[in-house]
Amino acid sequence: MTSHVGRLYALALALLVFFLAWATFAARPWAGTAGASPQLRSLAAREQRLRRESIAVRRVVAQRWAVYRAQLRQRQALNAAAATAPAAAPPVRVVTLPPLTITRTS
Amino acid sequence: MIQRRTFPAMGTTVELLVDADEADAALDAAEGEFHRLEAALSRFRPESELSLLNRTGSVDPSPDLRRVVELALDGRQRTGGRFDPTVHDALVAAGYDRSFEQVPPDAPERSAGAACGGSVAVGERIELAPGVRVDLGGIGKGYAAERAAELLALAGPCLVNAGGDVAVRGGSWPVGVQTHDGTLSLELTAGGLATSGIDRRRWRRGGNELHHIVDPQTGVPAQTDLLRITVVAADLVEAEIWGKALLIAGACAAEAEAEVRRLPAVIVTRDGRTVLAGGLA
Repeated sequence: MTSHVGRLYALALALLVFFLAWATFAARPWAGTAGASPQLRSLAAREQRLRRESIAVRRVVAQRWAVYRAQLRQRQALNAAAATAPAAAPPVRVVTLPPLTITRTS
Repeated sequence: MIQRRTFPAMGTTVELLVDADEADAALDAAEGEFHRLEAALSRFRPESELSLLNRTGSVDPSPDLRRVVELALDGRQRTGGRFDPTVHDALVAAGYDRSFEQVPPDAPERSAGAACGGSVAVGERIELAPGVRVDLGGIGKGYAAERAAELLALAGPCLVNAGGDVAVRGGSWPVGVQTHDGTLSLELTAGGLATSGIDRRRWRRGGNELHHIVDPQTGVPAQTDLLRITVVAADLVEAEIWGKALLIAGACAAEAEAEVRRLPAVIVTRDGRTVLAGGLA
């Protein structure tokens, strides 16, 4: 009985040691960056470049948005001014007809 | 058939022309409108609404007084102060203190001028700043001519000529403009035409020749190289405002501004030149 229980403990301990060893090997702690494959290094560099480019693109978009907003405000101001501006003068021309009435200093 | 009626109002002779067979009712209504508005807007009538405003500095205005004051203040803003309804005291100081036919043509006293540009607030009431009084002479006449033209137009195409300030509704009307070389005919079909000048409404004070166009910047009659200017605009009030403003601006500035603002204008200078500007040819 005693030996049977002891064997079970020994089996459980062996399983635990096995899984710990498997997890440790699976994590490959000996594989550092310096030792990464050229493909991984290329991917990491590309990721960095894309991050920098996205920051630059966001900055350009923000600048263009600000310019657009300023131009929009200007156009809106011009439209408002045009809406409140007096109407255009009516068509008028010099003719040779004798006048029906005379304008003079009023 | 063109029907014509003339009558005195607002210190001048008003002429109504309408192309219609039957227009007596419209002619009566248009004439009545002139007299009604003169009773409200004249600074020479002590009982007028404008005189009450100038006496008390505050009034609960009729729609007409409110509208004319608003138009005048808008004109002051848009002309940079060259048109200004607060020239009342400057006109009085110059000697134009009563209806023009009663102004003495010559008197010994000299004009000292008066400040212009005072505050006028238009809200529920019209409120004048202390010491500010308002003259609506020219613009009031233009407003009256426009209202009269609206009534007259019910009978047919028409023209209203209030002492040289012309409002037109439909039709085709040759209007004579005096130049150094004779009379130029301008054909109007709509809108308004006003002539401002220093060749009429003149008098002498202390040996100085004065006239009725006060420069609000100086508070005395304007020094200008223009004899008169005729301006065509979308309506007579607008033409009246710019006529005065361009007269005060002087010949060069008036020609340039008429071009920029597309205001057809006949500019007659004191040295004998006649210039067509603002697209007029």
